[in-house]
Amino acid sequence: MGQRRRGAALNASSQTKCGTPAEVSGRKHNICMVSDFFYPNMGGVESHIYQLSQCLIEKGHKVIIITHAYGRRKGIRYLTNGLKVYYLPLQVMYNQSTATTCFHSLPLLRCVFIRERITVVHAHSSFSAMAHDALFHAKTMGLNTVFTDHSLFGFADVSSVLTNKLLTVSLCDTNHIVCVSYTSKENTVLRATLNPEIVSVIPNAVDPTDFTPDPSQRQDDRITIVVISRLVYRKGIDLLGGIIPELCLKHPDLHFLIGGEGPKRIVLEEVREKYQLHDRVRLLGALEHKDVRGVLVQGHIFLNTSLTEAFCMAIVEGASCGLQVVSTRVGGIPEVLPEDLITLCEPTVRSLCAGLEAVIVRQRSGSVPSPASIHARVRNLYTWRNVAERTEKVYERVAGEEVLPLDRRLRRLRAHCGPVAGSIFAFVAVLDFLFLLLLQWLVPDQVMDVAVDATGPCGLWTQTPNSKEEIHAASAMRGSSGTQSSL
Amino acid sequence: MGPDSVPGPAVSWRKVLWERQPFPDNYVDQRFLEELRRNEGIRQYRYWAVVKEAGFVGQQLSCVAIFITLWLYMEQGLLSPEMLLWTSLISGLLGYGLHQVLISQEESSCEPRTRLADLQSATIFLSFTFGFSPVLKTLTESVSTDTVYAMSAVMLLAHLVSFPYAQPSPRGSLSINAALFASVCLASRLPGALHTFAMLSCALLVFALWPCLLQKIREKAPSHFTGVCVGVCIIGVGGLGSQSPGGAILLALALGSVTLLCPLLLVRLQRHKDNIHGPWDEAEIHEDLSRFIH
Repeated sequence: MGQRRRGAALNASSQTKCGTPAEVSGRKHNICMVSDFFYPNMGGVESHIYQLSQCLIEKGHKVIIITHAYGRRKGIRYLTNGLKVYYLPLQVMYNQSTATTCFHSLPLLRCVFIRERITVVHAHSSFSAMAHDALFHAKTMGLNTVFTDHSLFGFADVSSVLTNKLLTVSLCDTNHIVCVSYTSKENTVLRATLNPEIVSVIPNAVDPTDFTPDPSQRQDDRITIVVISRLVYRKGIDLLGGIIPELCLKHPDLHFLIGGEGPKRIVLEEVREKYQLHDRVRLLGALEHKDVRGVLVQGHIFLNTSLTEAFCMAIVEGASCGLQVVSTRVGGIPEVLPEDLITLCEPTVRSLCAGLEAVIVRQRSGSVPSPASIHARVRNLYTWRNVAERTEKVYERVAGEEVLPLDRRLRRLRAHCGPVAGSIFAFVAVLDFLFLLLLQWLVPDQVMDVAVDATGPCGLWTQTPNSKEEIHAASAMRGSSGTQSSL
Repeated sequence: MGPDSVPGPAVSWRKVLWERQPFPDNYVDQRFLEELRRNEGIRQYRYWAVVKEAGFVGQQLSCVAIFITLWLYMEQGLLSPEMLLWTSLISGLLGYGLHQVLISQEESSCEPRTRLADLQSATIFLSFTFGFSPVLKTLTESVSTDTVYAMSAVMLLAHLVSFPYAQPSPRGSLSINAALFASVCLASRLPGALHTFAMLSCALLVFALWPCLLQKIREKAPSHFTGVCVGVCIIGVGGLGSQSPGGAILLALALGSVTLLCPLLLVRLQRHKDNIHGPWDEAEIHEDLSRFIH
């Protein structure tokens, strides 16, 4: 396939007016982040994509984000620093994930990839059908691909057998995979039967300036345990429902502050009702990201009862606010914080109660380190700049690799994914390629306009277009790309 | 550290993220996957033990055959409803006695059901069935006979599929409902109202009470359990053979494959089992947490 593209030569309309480093410091990448999960949805994947994109823009790369339309939020939007987000009109099927037919998203995605002169497609989250679609089409178009897996998955039940097979198909010819913890890497390597050499571990990060301690917010006549998580089964809320009465009966000065919403809220409400703990267990409901710190600093101890977790940003946020962290020993959690900053327990009520009581005793005797000292230690552990640097190295490596041409891709699929699934998806890959040829015949790549590169701290988005070429390009984009507005 | 950076000096790698280590991000240590555990807590099956358990499935299949045989006899007028009622009554009383003997062996802490309560429910059920049997008789008159047979077959199959073989004591409601639905369908094609009543009482005996008794035998007298199962299977095949030899051969083949062939397959395929566990598995809550709420 000869449609392999390199960004540097084609950066025709990119801004060089105020000396963006795009052409100063050698070749930079044109990166396209794809995931079903992005703002206005909130969560770990969403903030990861946003923060990583911002740091990559800061480093002089061009970054755009593709997601599906969220309600009335559709078309193109710009975020801080000219980060362009495409909200594509694709049908949402389940849990904010789009439906997939392997084909229907190709025309739209091809259009975006070509107009934006994309060189690397970076898909996020194995639950996102759009991410897998984008990987598939990007490989057909001869683009380099990177995939980040944010979650853990078991092997035992039927649904995981099926999804793991799909992941095997999706990742068998992806250039590089990123996982957020070593446990997550082991999990992904097993699920997708990958060569571990092409899987990098790059942890998530936390913005330390958002999570600073403030001991004056604590009430010293009591000990407050803070829990901030979605109230769902996987977060171990049933365990929390057992811990609350056990500890509240023993320690009359113990208070719980619980932030988050979800179907398991009823469990906590029943416990509160039965043991008459209305004044000591406060359920705050759903919290906005900006309010999280305000809740965290009121507590002495941060409790996490998750049953499975790939990385767990919540405990880092808790420690960053200077709290003592108590957590279950599951998934990648033991890798996240040094032993002296976290108390790890087994996922049982008894073990968690024992761990919490040990911390309560230490808290009473005043033998715990001060919030400021904990914050100072955690502050530099996980930063987005570091994440961006390490991800950049992945892009460097990937850019030097070749994308498998169709014949070798088919052979890889059949050799790697078993005779049945491999043959089916090899057939789908051929159809995808034919569809691409048809689209190229209908609208050749050369006649597609190049989108204006507005990214960067002094990119076009801060200026008024003044050359004829730019006006033409900008109006062309406005004409054909739906609504356009800035945030 | 990006992928493929130069590995540092002889520092040993640690599985932690909070420490910047002199290894590339895609570094694969020798300890990679060391926490992987295979086939944890797997059960090793022994062939004859599995065959014995599969006997329960076989006898349930035979029970359905026996019921159909009885219905065939009734339909052809070879068996009078009075005869069936008396036999049912006697075998019901015998079974009830046996059940009482088996129950009396266990020291249960909870209050057992009294005989009076048992008599009460038996009376209620029998009188209602007797009273409604003329209605049940004409219930499916407007439905064609083929449809009734097809429906009965499907329902009996559903009964067999959904029967809770592992723990039949609190009986699965779907399986018993399917069986009774099939019995009503079949009974409504019999010549008289008394026939319908006899058939339904018999269905109650075969599909509702017999599994209870058999479960008690399995718990209390496991040595006799196999004998009972084999006996039921022989009666089933023999009874069906007297009406339709072809059906009897099919039933015998089905019984053979369910009780002998399938266990063999299970034991053979067991060695291909490859189940992996590791730190990424979702933790399971084994405690009973409902005590905190209720």
